Amino acid sequence: MPFTFKKQIFGFMDLLRFKKLVPNRRKKLENGSSAALPKSYRVNETAKILHPGYQSAKLIGIEQNSADTKTYTLETERPLYFRAGQYVTLGCKVGNSEVSRPYAISSSPKAALGRKVALTVKKCGFFSGYLFDNAAIGDTFILGDPSGDFCYEPVKDAKHVVALAGGSGITPFYSMAQAIADGTDDYKLTIFYGAKTEHDLIFKREFDALSSEKIKTIYVLSDEEKAGYEHGFIGAELLRKYVSGDFTVLMCGPQAMYEFAQKELNSLNLPLRRIKKEANCVGTRDAEGKIFKLVVHIGFDTFTVPADSRETILTAMERAGLKVPSKCRAGGCGFCHSKLVAGDFSIAGEDKRRLADSKFGYIHPCCSYPDSDMELIVPKA
Amino acid sequence: MKKYDAVVIGAGNGGLVAAIRLLQGGAKTLLVEKHNLPGGFATSFRRGRFEFEASLHELNDFGTADNAGDVRVLFDELGVTEKIDWIEIPEAYRVIARAEKIDATMPFGVKSFIDAMERYVPGSRPSVSKFFELAEEVRMAQAYSSAVNGNTDSKVMVSKYGNFVRAGSYSVNEVLAALKMPKKARDIINAYWCYLGAHCDDLSFVHYASMVNRYIMRGASMPKMRSHEISLALVERIRELGGDILFNTEAVKILTDERDGGVNGVVLDDGTQIASRHVVANCAPHLVFGRMMDKVPESEIRATNARKFAGRGFTMFLGLDADADELGIENHNYFLYDTMDSVAQYNKMRTIQDNEVQATVCLNRAYPECSPKGTCMMYFTTLYMSDDWGNVKAEDYYKTKDYVANKMIDRFEQDTGAKLRGHIEEISVAAPMTYARYCGHPEGVIYGYESQYWDGLMPRLQMMAEDHKVRGLRFAGGYAMRLSGYSSAYFSGDISGRQTVGDIKREG
Repeated sequence: MPFTFKKQIFGFMDLLRFKKLVPNRRKKLENGSSAALPKSYRVNETAKILHPGYQSAKLIGIEQNSADTKTYTLETERPLYFRAGQYVTLGCKVGNSEVSRPYAISSSPKAALGRKVALTVKKCGFFSGYLFDNAAIGDTFILGDPSGDFCYEPVKDAKHVVALAGGSGITPFYSMAQAIADGTDDYKLTIFYGAKTEHDLIFKREFDALSSEKIKTIYVLSDEEKAGYEHGFIGAELLRKYVSGDFTVLMCGPQAMYEFAQKELNSLNLPLRRIKKEANCVGTRDAEGKIFKLVVHIGFDTFTVPADSRETILTAMERAGLKVPSKCRAGGCGFCHSKLVAGDFSIAGEDKRRLADSKFGYIHPCCSYPDSDMELIVPKA
Repeated sequence: MKKYDAVVIGAGNGGLVAAIRLLQGGAKTLLVEKHNLPGGFATSFRRGRFEFEASLHELNDFGTADNAGDVRVLFDELGVTEKIDWIEIPEAYRVIARAEKIDATMPFGVKSFIDAMERYVPGSRPSVSKFFELAEEVRMAQAYSSAVNGNTDSKVMVSKYGNFVRAGSYSVNEVLAALKMPKKARDIINAYWCYLGAHCDDLSFVHYASMVNRYIMRGASMPKMRSHEISLALVERIRELGGDILFNTEAVKILTDERDGGVNGVVLDDGTQIASRHVVANCAPHLVFGRMMDKVPESEIRATNARKFAGRGFTMFLGLDADADELGIENHNYFLYDTMDSVAQYNKMRTIQDNEVQATVCLNRAYPECSPKGTCMMYFTTLYMSDDWGNVKAEDYYKTKDYVANKMIDRFEQDTGAKLRGHIEEISVAAPMTYARYCGHPEGVIYGYESQYWDGLMPRLQMMAEDHKVRGLRFAGGYAMRLSGYSSAYFSGDISGRQTVGDIKREG
């Protein structure tokens, strides 16, 4: 049964009210302030500190930590803030190539607010080798956004974090230890720090100085037996010796260490939520060396560049001097998300793309190798 | 210089649809997006073995092929429906309100909804039935209004849509009181108010009824691969139609013509100038008039200053290492309120300290296979009705996020009896700063301009023509004439895209 809606006794009063909606709004809009609109907003300004985007950074300090490792201190243009354990990309032009790499920040979040960021880099590849041999005070680099989830998560993690560090994988834990010591974070951190010999340990003096109720470091040397140090590899037996109760494991180190540690952790029956691994950069693959043709559309331009079957598509573009986005170089962050127009590829390790990306043909060049000639649409860096 | 008939700024829901409409109308179109992904909030992200939906709770007004809603009709016209795998949401919502001790689970389907309400509130049937009759008339009147591009004939309106016109100037609460709806039924039917972000004394009945009707009559849907699937399907369509898209590219300026002050071009973040006489801006007028244009008419400054930002977003995402049954998560969509007095509730939502409202989804209850066997995933959303996050300094940001996240988990456990603690494998939290970062919205607003009484859906639609003051500049998205929400944003893109095609044709 249709009914007649009436709010007021006389329905026409409702009609009159309706007719006033437009003049009412018109008047409100006309009576707005004529003052200039804001150029920015507080939340957006804070967002710029948390996610500053690319910025230039000047090298202001170099410290040699061991025979093959140096810590580079950079002064950034703008203040930034991050969660201890996160990484940034550091990049510059090397020869004709545009190169950048992700490195864990080894300094504290507080220092970054004062525009100081330290990266501790082991000489082991193309860019780290360049840094080690060439970087000089006063040089400028491009620093990226603090990124990654390799952090203590107070809402879900145990109040006790057990860190397993292999070699230069110690760097994020140094940042975490500083953040605990200066009151930024509050949890117990037990670090198992594996290295070949005493001389390969970096930050030992610093960790010893930070040693407290909350921070403890156990040094584990694989190639040396020495008083005050554990000997061997970081395994279940060692863990049982030093830690008990509920804890979250954070692992950072080479792939071989992860494989060993994972097996050892299996005997401790930890659920997945208690184990977090920092991803390693995708390197080269063992394959027959072939050179494919890679057509890349960036903005309104098209480039044709060679792509070596053994290297990632990202590497091919960087070698050719193309400015393309890259961040984690491990396939996980999605920053290099690109549209595949044609061609075949293989993914290194696990496919970490979003479901719809596979469906609609998007790839992450940082973890994909070319298997044929290819054509891609890549966003500009 | 590159020349386009139209440039769409922002690849959010509104911008993507506008770009397709422009291309379908024969316009050479460039879409620029500052982020590296399309969709704005309509996206997804991976954490461990989970792929989280970034924002979509459920897409309303989609329906099925046999009972097609307006969004499906639009997607059919755009040519994207078939590119997406859809699932249907099983039930409308469960609302739990502490003060009124309400715990009601409401189904989709008008008849089922009225029946369920009668069980919870005996005697509510006549008034709730009238609500849906009115709501249906609202929908019909809006369809008429859209068909004539807002140039409605008042005689037709009064003769054919009399109830709509008579109810059209009132708030939700005023109309429900006039319908003599029992208080508890009003409380239950008002549960969706937080989806529109204005309290029910202020929120226009027409706007609210239109939304409730679209949900209850057509049901709601969800793309299987999260809203990222919709966004990529829309991008695919734009490319098929020959449109150009630039990601990681911010439009920093809109150039204007000396003579008429209208649009003349767009400057990109790398300095590239694009010649174009038409822009569809899928972003806030506050940004466009505040910093993208050098010469802005005073009337636009005044109009923009007069408006009020709607809710600033906050969402927590949890990947849990047990399934929903095991954890006691019974429903797909929860609204948890302190009180159904939406004015009091709105006021509590101003501050980080006092806001404990949440709209929470367990996607597995609609789509069990959305996460690996033996797991489930949830997202918890709230809105802040003031700029309180502006008081949070960078160094307090993470602690503040954790504070809210913990409150949300506690609240959900207390109100529903489910157990989440001890099962959280992945957590990610988006605060207003996150929304500000990805989409550039002022203060991290996710709902555009608030649907205040004076600035509600009806007057915005009626004033579409006169709000268009700068030649060649139209808006799409949550700040535009259809207000916020997925379907509204798609419709605004549809309207502004088609209107711009008309503008171009008129210019010849």
